[in-house]
Amino acid sequence: MKPAPFTYRRAESTDEALALLAEHGDDAKLMSGGQSLVPLLNMRLAQPAVVVDIGRVAELADVTEAPDRIRYGAGVVHSWFEDALVPDAADGLLRAVAGGIGYRAIRNRGTLGGSLAHADSSAEWPVVMAALGAGVVVRSAERGERVVPATEFVQGFFTNALDDDEAVVAVDVPRLAPGSRWGFAKSARKPGEFAESLAVAIVAADGRAEVWLGAAASVPLRVDPDDLAALPDGDAYERHLHGVTIARALDQARQREAA
Amino acid sequence: MTDDDTAPDPGTALRVRVNGAVHELQVPGRLSLADALRERLHLTGTHLGCEHGVCGACTVLVDDRPVRSCITLAAACDGSDVVTVEGLAGPVADAVREAFAAEHGLQCGFCTSGMLMTAVDVVTRRPDATPDDIRHELGGNLCRCTGYVNIVRAITRAAADLGTITADAGTAVTIGGRA
Repeated sequence: MKPAPFTYRRAESTDEALALLAEHGDDAKLMSGGQSLVPLLNMRLAQPAVVVDIGRVAELADVTEAPDRIRYGAGVVHSWFEDALVPDAADGLLRAVAGGIGYRAIRNRGTLGGSLAHADSSAEWPVVMAALGAGVVVRSAERGERVVPATEFVQGFFTNALDDDEAVVAVDVPRLAPGSRWGFAKSARKPGEFAESLAVAIVAADGRAEVWLGAAASVPLRVDPDDLAALPDGDAYERHLHGVTIARALDQARQREAA
Repeated sequence: MTDDDTAPDPGTALRVRVNGAVHELQVPGRLSLADALRERLHLTGTHLGCEHGVCGACTVLVDDRPVRSCITLAAACDGSDVVTVEGLAGPVADAVREAFAAEHGLQCGFCTSGMLMTAVDVVTRRPDATPDDIRHELGGNLCRCTGYVNIVRAITRAAADLGTITADAGTAVTIGGRA
């Protein structure tokens, strides 16, 4: 199982990566940790002509704190959240979530931006970032920077909001509002698997709950916890499972001490 | 061989330290770190099972952290320090090897090199891990022989043995025995 031949280009800066994307467009694929892309290359499900390696771009690993939010570079790897090597904008939610992504060896290379760009609704970050109201910072050489709300970034089955010449460069995560609490529940048949159901609940100081559900549709879904009948079609087991993760996430949030 | 001489890829210069020795290679972009180790450097202790990042047999340490060498491109490791099972050395590695032998933590041995790399990471990073924690950490390393019971026992034992060693020596222990 070997990838089809491609030209490997290592970018030393974001600008260089964006220039390569502008030059090659749809023929090029960005690779950061490669933990989603390389399996697809090995299985020849992806056969790009050019792979642009952004794994060494130092500026993509920057983390910038502001009073109301934290900007995480797209190249921050999952295990940095897990090991609390970067600050947590959501009072421990990011750390708890990161520890369950794949396996430790995957978390040592897989990145926040890469996971979002891969746009799998059963992965953790697309659902969590939607629930937190994060902004996905994307940039192209020609048109500069824009911010796509995480709620709109995953647009369909493995389909993101990026144009061919754009890259995710950072994610702006608002700090959890005072008094807000979080809950997170994932169901998978073995540790490290993609979720069969994934729920994130944010309960505000006034008790109002916002719940986001992953692995239920091709995109993360905002659900009304009081109206689970509105969940998308699925078999009885899947619908039951979604009800369970939603209930667990809500319970966990309500029982948690507020930040 | 995995290289295809008809490929348009001119290759990438790669300078990498493996088990302490520096190697300079010209590699096609699509060459995995696993194939570079096995077929260029003839370090066949690193095994390839699934080749898509699921089974963990190919786990090696890159800059002191376990990674899957089957889904890591060799070219992406330029400037890195790689440790394979052949180069595992130091008190942690010794304790893990001895514990795998004592607890019969292997049968056919195919998964063992990946298990040892993961075990060294677990014992180093989480010396107080419970058997449940160890099972969780082993989620990414598949073994089709042992049923895992003896592997969990081996890692638990290695951590316990190492706790004694560390207390005696009074020094910090790092992965691969390198400070």
